[in-house]
Amino acid sequence: MKTVFALCQRNLKDFVRNKPRLILSIIFPFFFIYVFSSIFQNEYIENPISLMLAGIAIATVFDVTLRISSSTIDDMSSGFMKEVLVSPVSRLSIAGGQFLSGAVIGTMNGMIILLGGVLLGFRVTSPLTVLYIIAAMVFVGFVFAGFGLFMATTTKSTQTFQVVSMAITMPMTFLSGAYIPVGDLPNVLQIITRFNPLTYAVAMFRSVSLEWGGLPLEQQIHLGVSIEIGNFVVTPMISALILLGFGALFLLLSTLAFMRTDFSKMSRSAGDAVDWG
Amino acid sequence: MNPIIEVQNFTKRYGKFTAVDDISFQVEEGSIFAFLGPNGAGKSTTINTLCTIFEKTEGTLRIDGKDVSTQKNEVRKSIGVVFQDSTLDKKMTVEENLRMHCVFYRVPKREVEERIAFVLELVELSEWRRKRVSALSGGMKRRVEIARGLIHFPKVLFLDEPTTGLDPQTRAHIWEYIVKLQKEKNITMFLTTHYMDEAEICNQVAIMDGGKIVANDRPFELKKQYTKDRAYITTERPEELERLLRAHNLEFVQKPKYYRVDVDSVPGLLQVLGDQKDVITDLEVKKGTLNDVFLEITGKEIREGGES
Ligand SMILES: Nc1ncnc2c1ncn2[C@@H]1O[C@H](COP(=O)(O)OP(=O)(O)OP(=O)(O)O)[C@@H](O)[C@H]1O
Ligand SMILES: [Mg+2]
Repeated sequence: MKTVFALCQRNLKDFVRNKPRLILSIIFPFFFIYVFSSIFQNEYIENPISLMLAGIAIATVFDVTLRISSSTIDDMSSGFMKEVLVSPVSRLSIAGGQFLSGAVIGTMNGMIILLGGVLLGFRVTSPLTVLYIIAAMVFVGFVFAGFGLFMATTTKSTQTFQVVSMAITMPMTFLSGAYIPVGDLPNVLQIITRFNPLTYAVAMFRSVSLEWGGLPLEQQIHLGVSIEIGNFVVTPMISALILLGFGALFLLLSTLAFMRTDFSKMSRSAGDAVDWG
Repeated sequence: MNPIIEVQNFTKRYGKFTAVDDISFQVEEGSIFAFLGPNGAGKSTTINTLCTIFEKTEGTLRIDGKDVSTQKNEVRKSIGVVFQDSTLDKKMTVEENLRMHCVFYRVPKREVEERIAFVLELVELSEWRRKRVSALSGGMKRRVEIARGLIHFPKVLFLDEPTTGLDPQTRAHIWEYIVKLQKEKNITMFLTTHYMDEAEICNQVAIMDGGKIVANDRPFELKKQYTKDRAYITTERPEELERLLRAHNLEFVQKPKYYRVDVDSVPGLLQVLGDQKDVITDLEVKKGTLNDVFLEITGKEIREGGES
């Protein structure tokens, strides 16, 4: 357990130390809020900024978590993973460290966005909501941490990973309703959003953070926090269950993949090969 | 002799390619043991297998009585490793690297400070403690790695080419640490090198070539067994010298300025010359080197390592 926390602390330090990246990851979301907020104007929504904020905050949690939990790939190419693997720590705690780092740092980043959002008029009525928000962010963090580590362990090389991660996260982010309301998308894309786990994370998080849990179903559907699939309505609660399933699956898969990876195959890094060239 | 590393009939294949071919050897506790051999001999492969990073193909490998395949965790606890390529966490500071290592190896919390100070002192990097690893020079990074490999007080320290690419001064320093640790802490040192002069310092040297151990002994014995001392004799009276050497069945090579004679022992030669010292004007004796040993056994020169 100490190892898990130590690894988490390390990733956190690295995240805070990389100033340009840190600043970008805070500024970008606000830039998006500014650009996209006009799209969200419709008769049901009195405060599009809050809606945007909630969506973008959770999309940021998704993005940061994924980046942190998959940073394992950098540790493989830098050689540091070898130091970890030759020590008597279990691979399980290494994977655990990556998951926790992802969830914690993702949540922190998401919270910074919401705090910035307070200046833009974001409000909650009950202090309990703040707790729910944090819990929801941590939850979403863990859900996608497994996904991140899974991508990292299955692609194995930094270059491939960058391509794969772009090809997967970009569409996931934009087809989730976080930036662009699902209703404004062409029909085909709307169908795709139903297969995107981030859609459910966005819906669930909006219902929690904007305190819309008690609204009538009809209105929830209009606001996009409950999702109609045919005759079936995915309420925020069901969204949470979907996420739980998705998260559990990938935490399991990535842990298994990570435990099984034969790192000896990767030990011949570029540096090693040219050493004597 | 109390062997801390025991390797029997170890073979490692990468697919069809045999990198290490049925080798057996032992390393005595508290000694400095070196693998000497050219590129691709299988040195790193053997070290990586002993360190539990690679899986063996065949054979038994034990460290401190524990099997490296079935008791991985036990083995990991009792070894420290400095790999051929850097495994430092470059994003973190020197101190953070050491602290993280202490967590991995469960160094008791109250000892951590003391040990960090000790190992940094040893490799003379105390002032660099709070610097980011990426800001260090190559030689300093190597020293940090050695410090890190030691901080949990392993029984055996593996060093895969610890000095390759370092300047002569840093090399000499690193050797000071190695010898000091072996003497003071009784840590067994297992290292690989391309440098002959480094191999000379070791208690035991195994010469590897093409995945096999072709010789394994103390440097002194190796030289005794495989090389002859070379005497270079200059003379004003060549006929007399030649007659003398022939009379004692000593083979010689005539060069423009001198005669070269390979001798089994220097005293023997002196005895031969003893009666007629005035035949020679000058005599110089060169001892056999490990390079000669290598040449003798494999028929080729070992390539001296690094950028030197
Ligand atoms: N992961 C690997 N996959 C395939 N072949 C490998 C692998 N690692 C090493 N080899 C091969 O095994 C042989 C031995 O390699 P090894 O790294 O053990 O040599 P070495 O003695 O350490 O050489 P050097 O002095 O260059 O470090 C080489 O021919 C190398 O090409
Ligand atoms: Mg090697």
